[in-house]
Amino acid sequence: MKFTCEKNSIQKEIAIAQEIISTRNVLSILSNVLLVAENNTITIKATDLKVGFETQIPADIAEEGSTTVFCDKFLGILRSLPDGDIEFEQSNNRLLIRPLFKKINFQLKSIAGDKFPELQEIADDQFFEIPQKDVIEMVSQTLFAVSDDETRYFMNGVYLENREGGLSMVATDGRRLSYISREFENQIPDFEPVIIPPKVLQLLRKLASGEGNLRVAVGEKNLFMQFDSQRISSSLIEGQFPNYKRVIPEQQQYEISINKPQFEEALKRVALLVEQKSRRIYLNLSEKNITLTSEESEIGVAKEEVECDYEGPEMTLALNYLYLTEPLRVISTEEILVRFTEPNKAITLLTKPEQDFFHIVMPMQLD
Amino acid sequence: MERVIFHVDMDAFYAAVEQQDNPELRGTPVIIGARPGTRGVVSACSYEARTYGVRSAMPISEAYRRCPHGNFLPGRMSRYQEVSRGIMSMFEEFTPDIQQISVDEAFLNMTGTERLFGTPEEAAALIKRRVTQNTGLVISIGIAANKFLAKLASDYDKPDGLHRVLAGQEEQFIDSLKLGDLWGVGKKSLERLHELNITTPWELRQIKKASLCRLFGKAGGEYLYRAVRGTDPGILQQETKSQSLSGEVTFEQDTRDPEVVKQVILDLSHQIMFRLLNSDKIGYTVFIKVRLSDFSTSTAQKRLRRPLYSAEELFDVAHTLLQKRWNRQHEIRLIGVGVSSVFTADNQPEQQELFSDPYDRQKKVEKVVNSIRAKGSRIEKASLIDSVPEMKKREEKRFSSRGDEAQE
Repeated sequence: MKFTCEKNSIQKEIAIAQEIISTRNVLSILSNVLLVAENNTITIKATDLKVGFETQIPADIAEEGSTTVFCDKFLGILRSLPDGDIEFEQSNNRLLIRPLFKKINFQLKSIAGDKFPELQEIADDQFFEIPQKDVIEMVSQTLFAVSDDETRYFMNGVYLENREGGLSMVATDGRRLSYISREFENQIPDFEPVIIPPKVLQLLRKLASGEGNLRVAVGEKNLFMQFDSQRISSSLIEGQFPNYKRVIPEQQQYEISINKPQFEEALKRVALLVEQKSRRIYLNLSEKNITLTSEESEIGVAKEEVECDYEGPEMTLALNYLYLTEPLRVISTEEILVRFTEPNKAITLLTKPEQDFFHIVMPMQLD
Repeated sequence: MERVIFHVDMDAFYAAVEQQDNPELRGTPVIIGARPGTRGVVSACSYEARTYGVRSAMPISEAYRRCPHGNFLPGRMSRYQEVSRGIMSMFEEFTPDIQQISVDEAFLNMTGTERLFGTPEEAAALIKRRVTQNTGLVISIGIAANKFLAKLASDYDKPDGLHRVLAGQEEQFIDSLKLGDLWGVGKKSLERLHELNITTPWELRQIKKASLCRLFGKAGGEYLYRAVRGTDPGILQQETKSQSLSGEVTFEQDTRDPEVVKQVILDLSHQIMFRLLNSDKIGYTVFIKVRLSDFSTSTAQKRLRRPLYSAEELFDVAHTLLQKRWNRQHEIRLIGVGVSSVFTADNQPEQQELFSDPYDRQKKVEKVVNSIRAKGSRIEKASLIDSVPEMKKREEKRFSSRGDEAQE
């Protein structure tokens, strides 16, 4: 194998490969990245056996072939090299790395390409297409709510469900829940709902340009996505996602309308003095006003009043402030709605005007 | 400033509490532990019983042989804990720096309290008087510059002891003890020392550190080297941050009846969980101990991500762990269930859950039951009432509450 390509174009892809490779494992073939030179393109593959990544870059190929090298060092070498074309040559279990017109010569031990595990594949006719920007929005609205409690592994991912005319995504940690349901013009084939691990969704959000379509295929145990010149796949979380529909309030008695930037700013300030273990913040509601207070602690207390539109009895709600700030971060409307019935029942955060998503938060004990 | 550490030890604590609560028992040999004629052991005894040669951990049958007229009692752990809590809170009036190491022992750091309570001896006498006045119980106090010596000193003229090891007299004090009295010198080390013809602390002190390390390993050698010089070898340095609670049952007849075993685990789980709730503690790790009829013993444990919720959950986890250690073929002699990684609950405000936890309802029930019990009423889970056939019912029940470092 022998090829020449531009330093920055290969370095960018190797950096992504390195992110997928699990550094926690002992050194093995999985610490390596696979390079395949064929038809004037270099195919780069990396996997941690759960998430797979595949990308292609154009190259000038002198001799076709394949090899694998230790990704961490390979990336380090590429980063250290000056800009310009680099020649790569496989020879005697080594990959020679030689920038053109320079007196630099690296030799990296390699393992044969055929030792590299096969990435999961799915038939091409299983793919459907939806706009990248919609998928990214759906991921952003839900991903942060995923549980990291390994004993509730079935909540450690985003639940993707096929709905009539569209798709919905749900994520929960058992105390709050985020939901989005989006309609698509394209026909989406039927599939059983799946739980997608966060890593592949973070990767998608990071890599996808947000323009054009995303090709998606949902297999029985794996999810496949193709965009731009990249393909990523991930194994799915097996298990029973909780019956989330049951906990979505059908009807709530009261509604507060509030300016989102003002509310968010006030939360940020009052949160400075919120007790960091419980993260409990109080919202005192009265007509036209909502007062945010931290708990009185050894350090002090914070209080801020924000105008709002509310018609209902005076009431106090206690909440984990992170369960408010996290959804607010992904809401971009000027006004938001907070719906609730009583202090010990779920509250709902929505945009005004309403969109196709909402966030549900369970309150905390008042005293 | 010279450090002043008190080691406070309650004399024959369980037996003394029984004698206090029941005046008829005063002056008589009181033996707490298993029922005579069964296979358990003595868990504590009064000084009167000790004159007959009864000792704790002795088989109950042997104790009965030595002292047939003794008052054999089953023990009331919750009462002992209640009394212990009362005494510990008395100590709080003397120093904020208290390290309780078991139900009847504690270290008090009394450094710098001379202006408040007088010399260490005066302060100790005051504490002893206070405890006796309030509870009728007698305690022994050892005073020294470190925990190791203080612990040895409290044992020095027990019961009702008060002994101070003065600075500069550490080695002299150690020399007045037997080798086996040195804290942390166990049976094995003692045997090894005797083999080497070392029988007194003085002889042990003549051995070079390097030789001790060669003979007893690095840690063991250094421990002995320091201990015999009266410098704290360090096992009590560590604060007991986490504790464990456990209970175990020896079957009168070894059993492989899964129902009997299950029942005993359920019973133990309930008792441990209630003790946990009562002391306002939370626990993360469940462990079990299984001893088969051939005395082979194994343990298993599981750490949970969140604190243990209810006795039912404790039972479920313990019962699942048992499946890993018992194939139902061999007969079981003893079953132990325990909770470790125990911490004081910091009473965080509760965050409500979206999805009901399967253990949530039980937790609520158990809290209510616990408060009913606290008012003195007897309430038991129906399946725990005499469902174990009488002949198979446990005879020995030992409960322990201890710091992790003391764990086997």
